Amino acid sequence: MLMKYLFAKNDEIPAGSATIFFGFSSIFWFVVGTGLGSFNAAKLAFPDWVTGTELFAFGHMRQVHVLAVIIGWISMAFGMTMMYMTPALGNTKLWSEKLGLWTVFLWNIGLSLGLLLLWMGITSGREYNDLIWPIDLVVIFGVLLPLGINVWMTIAHRKTQGIYITNWFFGACIFMVMIVFLVGQSPELFNLTGLTEAYLTFWFAHNVLGLWITPVAAAIAYYTIPKLTGNPLYSHRIGHLHFWAIIVFYSTPASHHLMSAPLPEWLKSFASVEGVLILIPAVAFVANILLTMKGKWTMFVENVETKFSITGVLLAIPLNMQGGFQQTRAINWYVHGTGWIVAHAHLALLGMSSFLEAAAVYFGLQQMLRRKLYSLTLANLHYWFFIVGFCIYWISMTIAGLIQGAGKIYEVPYIDVVVAEHPYMIARWVGGTMVFTGNVVWLFNMWMTAREGTLVPEGRYAHELAYER
Amino acid sequence: MAFRRHKFGSAGIGLMFGFSMCITLFGPSNDFRSGVSTWVGLDKQLSLGRVIGFSYEDPTVSGDGKPITVILNKDPKTGVAIDPPIRAYVYKPGVKFSPGVNHPELLGPGVEDLSMRDGKISSASMSSGAVFTVSKGVFNDEEVDYIENASATRGWTPDKTLRTAGDANSRYVGKGKTIYISEGCWWCHTLLPEQTQDWQMFGQPPFLGDFNGEMPTAFGSDRKAPDILHVASRNSSREWMTMHFFNPRLVQPNSIMPRFDYLWGKQDANGNSIDFAKWRADYSDYLHGKRIYAPEVPEPARDSEVRALIDWILTSLK
Amino acid sequence: MAFKMDQPLYSLSDEAEQKEILALWEKEKHGGLSEGNNRIPFPITFLLGLIILTAFMITMPIWGQRPTADIYVDYVALMDSAEVQSMATPEEKMNYIAKTAYAKADARRQGALERHPLAWDDLLNIAPQIKEIQSGKGKYPLDNYNVLGDRIALANFEGNFTEGGYRERKQPWWDLGYTIDVFYVSYFLITMVIVIKRLPHFSRKPNLG
Repeated sequence: MLMKYLFAKNDEIPAGSATIFFGFSSIFWFVVGTGLGSFNAAKLAFPDWVTGTELFAFGHMRQVHVLAVIIGWISMAFGMTMMYMTPALGNTKLWSEKLGLWTVFLWNIGLSLGLLLLWMGITSGREYNDLIWPIDLVVIFGVLLPLGINVWMTIAHRKTQGIYITNWFFGACIFMVMIVFLVGQSPELFNLTGLTEAYLTFWFAHNVLGLWITPVAAAIAYYTIPKLTGNPLYSHRIGHLHFWAIIVFYSTPASHHLMSAPLPEWLKSFASVEGVLILIPAVAFVANILLTMKGKWTMFVENVETKFSITGVLLAIPLNMQGGFQQTRAINWYVHGTGWIVAHAHLALLGMSSFLEAAAVYFGLQQMLRRKLYSLTLANLHYWFFIVGFCIYWISMTIAGLIQGAGKIYEVPYIDVVVAEHPYMIARWVGGTMVFTGNVVWLFNMWMTAREGTLVPEGRYAHELAYER
Repeated sequence: MAFRRHKFGSAGIGLMFGFSMCITLFGPSNDFRSGVSTWVGLDKQLSLGRVIGFSYEDPTVSGDGKPITVILNKDPKTGVAIDPPIRAYVYKPGVKFSPGVNHPELLGPGVEDLSMRDGKISSASMSSGAVFTVSKGVFNDEEVDYIENASATRGWTPDKTLRTAGDANSRYVGKGKTIYISEGCWWCHTLLPEQTQDWQMFGQPPFLGDFNGEMPTAFGSDRKAPDILHVASRNSSREWMTMHFFNPRLVQPNSIMPRFDYLWGKQDANGNSIDFAKWRADYSDYLHGKRIYAPEVPEPARDSEVRALIDWILTSLK
Repeated sequence: MAFKMDQPLYSLSDEAEQKEILALWEKEKHGGLSEGNNRIPFPITFLLGLIILTAFMITMPIWGQRPTADIYVDYVALMDSAEVQSMATPEEKMNYIAKTAYAKADARRQGALERHPLAWDDLLNIAPQIKEIQSGKGKYPLDNYNVLGDRIALANFEGNFTEGGYRERKQPWWDLGYTIDVFYVSYFLITMVIVIKRLPHFSRKPNLG
């Protein structure tokens, strides 16, 4: 069906096609990514589990897991939300469904190719930027640029005078992440070396999170929560505070990832103060969304999309408290490079961000398919597997990290730390597997929704109808 | 309602974002440029070559087109004994030079001047290959290390140098680090003892000048295993490394490191094919108490990947 | 875009513009969504202030530091004194040295000494190195060196530039980074005040139906 539409005339493609393909691709990559995560965790707990071939070695799988989740699941879910939120917020239709479909097509091809190469060990050797530069160029010009053109043109052709905050975030973040990707490639393209390379690697890693994953996830919540609850967004003013604080403070603390490397100290001082100031947009975001919920808190329990969304917002609180303070000189020496950081990274991507996107994907797919969710029970099952699995993971890795930190400070022989961490490695595997199981359920639920969900009548929203199963 | 005036808003985004980019990108670049290469930095870049990881010369990231580090105990041209032995970095014809040779400004003030003046690095040519060494000199009353193009200053040719050293004194360091990258060792091991806490256990943290010309640095961020920047000074046994790579549980029962037996390839050092299935069966018997000793680990072949990896660890990480 | 400056804390926009904005907010629905004009709650403003203050205070290099060679200078001076020479056991000697040096030290030094006790054998090993650095060999002062058990090594911090043109090997209390931060915070706050005060005053709520 995708093939048919790729060469169809733009007007003949039904509205929402790009959203639907993006949506299912993102869920598919989420299943793949968490499946790989579960597999990797098993290898850390039981190193002799699958051996003898490099294809199933931990070192070949780890980066595939990370990038499948970041570029496959999270970024594609962003693409999906942009495809339906941007036009909806401008009271117009998507600038080009065809371009959207080409984006999702090239995205899947490019990502599969890149992950395959990584799996074979063909890598640039730079964390989060592991993809070799030809693939990165595909990401920039085959994925981000068309996505950006679609979003920018849709905003330009809007039928409203104002631009809602979500669209401000979408437009700005695509622009910024493209610049970040381009600059992030420079060590490979121009053979920059030494600490410049190390710094640019983490400059890229930080800004991809800070100018893409976190703010776009927040932007999604600015749509889903008012939409689901029917309340107006609490405050336009706080929106300003959030948006500009993201651009000013989130774009600067890159070097706080290298606090123990011989970078110039002034750069670290600068970055770690800015790093704490990340709490400003975080406070603004959480306050704005939670105050929007006023009078509608029952929906947190009763409505599954709200449940996902608000869980994500609530997880933003510990996320930013950790993120703001763990990078300071006072705390970083204890937790740097330990499982604590792994727990924090999963809190950001699997916790805060993924929950917000899951809500938007649930909502958007029902909306665009014009079909009511197949089964509430399965959706709740997904939610509980997801949140419980995530909590097991997060808590066990945080404890493991503290053990590791203590081992580092008190100069304990490393092997004793490995032994002490073993139970938490098993817990991590259990948690990760639960998340994976939940996602398989989700994929099934969504597939059945597309095939058998109750049709939503014109002019109604899916979440207003009663569930039939 | 500035927020809704999209031109104003867009300009604001551009301005603020550009501001941050200037400070975070241009600001530190001056500091990085002023870093003076140390001996460690020069040794690293000469032994690793232009780039580790994906590149034109090594698209499959398997360690092709990398220089070879040799330990010389006599002069390849004159045959005069060298005591103590020195390291030379052999670039066969066609092997790309390390960044500092092509762009001496990367070496930092002083090192750059001496490498150009005394080291004659600008006369090295890729098509005929070159041999480099690291020498000591004095610049502005300070002792600095610089790169010497031994092909120009002493007439050492790549072929002759390799023959003089022989395989026993050749270290495939560049290939070794490539394996380190492509096998993902750096997902668990770090190459960066931390400034404040790691000194006693993992050794002295590196200085700014220890990295000039290295790409990628692959510090690693998620430490699930010991830092290995100075591992060779803690444990320099090739035999231990060999057993540990084949199956870490042979020497460290509680290790969670994966087995890297597949780095041995198909044949061992004597050209016999390695029977992995039998080894595994024997090892399983050993674990279940049916054998007293673990089976022997096959000796790695000369051109095996694991040999290069161990070469890198024992030569570079001190 | 007319600025009205007579009541800056109320609104920077004139009456006509405020009305226009409110009318637009009431009329226009973004895909069914609308926005309120509620004030930034006071607790949030308070939190912002607290965050900014904390940001500067917590990044100062106070905790988690290796002992520098500087803090043991008094130990080295005391170990050759007649009292210490006359004592019999290492424990006794170390006890006396630690106590005497602690009493002489200022509060900051006292904290460092409490966190980093030293054994007599280690002191014997590092004392000659400290003396050598004190005697003026090498360009770095004592507090640029870290004590690692029984030896001393130059720290690898790339700190502020000294008058000699080289970098201090220690984390600074103030440097260029903090200065840029002050600028960043100020420009952000000024911009935000202007942007937010350009909006209609928060007491004027759009009727969002």
